[in-house]
Amino acid sequence: MSPEAESEALHARAVAFVDAYEQGLPMPEAFDALAVDLAGFQARHVSGYARLCATRGVDVASLRRAGDAPAVPTDAFKLASVFAFDAAHASVTFLTSGTTLGARGAHPMRDVTTYDRAALASGRALLASGLRLPVPVLVVGPSPAHAPESSLTHMNAVFAARWSDAGSAATTYFVRRGELDVAGLRARIAGLAPATPAIVLATSFALVHLLDALDGAAMPLPPGSRVMQTGGFKGKSREVDAAELRGLIARTFHVDERSVVGEYGMTELSSQFWEATAADPGAATGVYVEPPWARVVPVDPETLKPMPPGEIGIARIEDLANVDSVFAVLTQDRVRRVTGGFELLGRVAGAPPRGCSISLDEMLGGS
Amino acid sequence: MERSADERVRDLRRLLEAARQVYANRSRLVPAIVASTGLSPQGVELGFESLERDAADEDLRSLIQAAGSTRHVHVVLSANVFVAPLRAIALALGAAPRVTVRASPRDPALARALVEAAGDPRITLTVDRDVAATEADVVHVYGRDATIAEVRARVRAGVRVLGHGAGLGAALVTGKAPVGEAARALALDVAVFDQRGCLSPRLVMVVGDQERASEVAERLHAELGELDMRLPRGVLSPEESSESVRWRDTVTFAGALRVGGGHTVGILPGGASLAIPPAGRHVLVVPVRDLAEARRALAVVAPLVVTLGSDDPVAAAAVAPAHARTAELGAMQRPPLDGPVDRRTALDAIAVT
Repeated sequence: MSPEAESEALHARAVAFVDAYEQGLPMPEAFDALAVDLAGFQARHVSGYARLCATRGVDVASLRRAGDAPAVPTDAFKLASVFAFDAAHASVTFLTSGTTLGARGAHPMRDVTTYDRAALASGRALLASGLRLPVPVLVVGPSPAHAPESSLTHMNAVFAARWSDAGSAATTYFVRRGELDVAGLRARIAGLAPATPAIVLATSFALVHLLDALDGAAMPLPPGSRVMQTGGFKGKSREVDAAELRGLIARTFHVDERSVVGEYGMTELSSQFWEATAADPGAATGVYVEPPWARVVPVDPETLKPMPPGEIGIARIEDLANVDSVFAVLTQDRVRRVTGGFELLGRVAGAPPRGCSISLDEMLGGS
Repeated sequence: MERSADERVRDLRRLLEAARQVYANRSRLVPAIVASTGLSPQGVELGFESLERDAADEDLRSLIQAAGSTRHVHVVLSANVFVAPLRAIALALGAAPRVTVRASPRDPALARALVEAAGDPRITLTVDRDVAATEADVVHVYGRDATIAEVRARVRAGVRVLGHGAGLGAALVTGKAPVGEAARALALDVAVFDQRGCLSPRLVMVVGDQERASEVAERLHAELGELDMRLPRGVLSPEESSESVRWRDTVTFAGALRVGGGHTVGILPGGASLAIPPAGRHVLVVPVRDLAEARRALAVVAPLVVTLGSDDPVAAAAVAPAHARTAELGAMQRPPLDGPVDRRTALDAIAVT
């Protein structure tokens, strides 16, 4: 079987998870079964992954459990090719935001179909839950034309294209050339039909800029609307406590706090994680839920072994939709498993200084 | 009345005499320093060799020039490399006839020993952690950027704060360098203070192709392996160990790795983005085609670079950022006592007169 045919077959198996989830059916196969096949495919076609497996003494041919496959640190996406296909066949390359050291991580994708299907399925279930589509989708962010390298912008565009009432770019995207169009957003919201809920998609820092610009004024959305907030502040706005920001967003848009839904995703993945507050009356805020084709495992940062239940570790994320790169990614985010999902507890702190040598954390602007 | 330059030099020479006393009696301090720094006893002994105990008049006059002139300097020390208090106190004493020193609560041994040995009533230790109460007109603070910012926010109006922040060292091995000699010298630069000093090289640029960079990396791995036996690395904190694991997996993915009992050497292909390693005897080796490429490679970390070591001073001068020191390989951790280790702050200090 050619690498491309092998990849297509693996994509089809990943999409079968998404189909089953959407239809409320049992998953088509065990998570581990697809995971170990992905590990084998990726070790054959991503040379860095083969080296990592060999160094860690992992024989991918005899793998039985996803958790035994090495996870690739997100930093590797800044240094090396993390894809299992000819670079010329990339249909899109998503880039991470820059750091003090300048390097941006790259996640090329040969085909975004699986990404799009996965995003739509989990977003529909947890952000747009219960809404009768189409609805107006307003993005407090750039359009794909202005930020084609952003996976978040891509996801927003997929949501806007599939869920909205065919709005144009001018009536959908409200950040243009880096400028937040407050007046345009205000006019768009004022013109919404009062009986149809809307969905607002935004980053946390964009929302802080918006709230600062509004200076306490409200921008009421139709009843039943939802607001997605995602990402940290990354120095792009003042920092606001998560609970305070949720309250401010709810008051500004006249929505229930449970309709302000947190999303957690990253360029290196093909799946996202959502708070379930809009879909499940019993769900707690701050608890993120995985779709059945992804797992978040808190691991000990020294041993990389799973932490005991309830203890904090760094997030090892296994994403079966990451077919053509690496399915297991090691982040620098601290997480803890709780009932119903996992909590995000911020980025791992750098080593306390025991000299004047700069810490990696400081170098990357983390402190 | 302001001290003359000669008087200041004499004051500094008395401080160096105190340093010689501390060095002579160092065995009494070793256990405390081992406990506070995590260095091995052999590592502490090696670190003591970097304690300045003498200096040329010319260097001391440069230090005085860099220190500026003021009435009273308050020095806030962090858990720095353990010999750093000598230079910090010297800079303060070069600038002012009155010096107060707040030693790091985590690592106070050497600062206390120096002040006691100096026996100079103008140099006193304080345990007061609140800089708002200091009567000094200038505060020298050593530590992370966040610490420096906290001190700036706390001092009285009109008090000048000079921050001595964190940085890193880099090295350049030119095409004419004998590989064995360069690797031996570099290994020593890496091992001193277990690389926790801002003069320790974490990045080594090798002029030549991948093969030559790999040769340097292999020899460096061998030399560090020899030092692992003779000068064992101390204890890494859990956070340092975590950073090590992450960096090693990243470099394994992107290049190649040589792991020893107490060190790791990574090799990346030319032109790759840099993966600067954590402290704790981790070194990244990359090939560069020529000095121009070395300058470009260094550009992304240039603001953080405190020193550039090289076998060739002319090449080092051509590649180093303007603010950085240059040094011979093997002597990167022993700069002359001619001003702050980190010259990024020296420029600020000159303005305080």
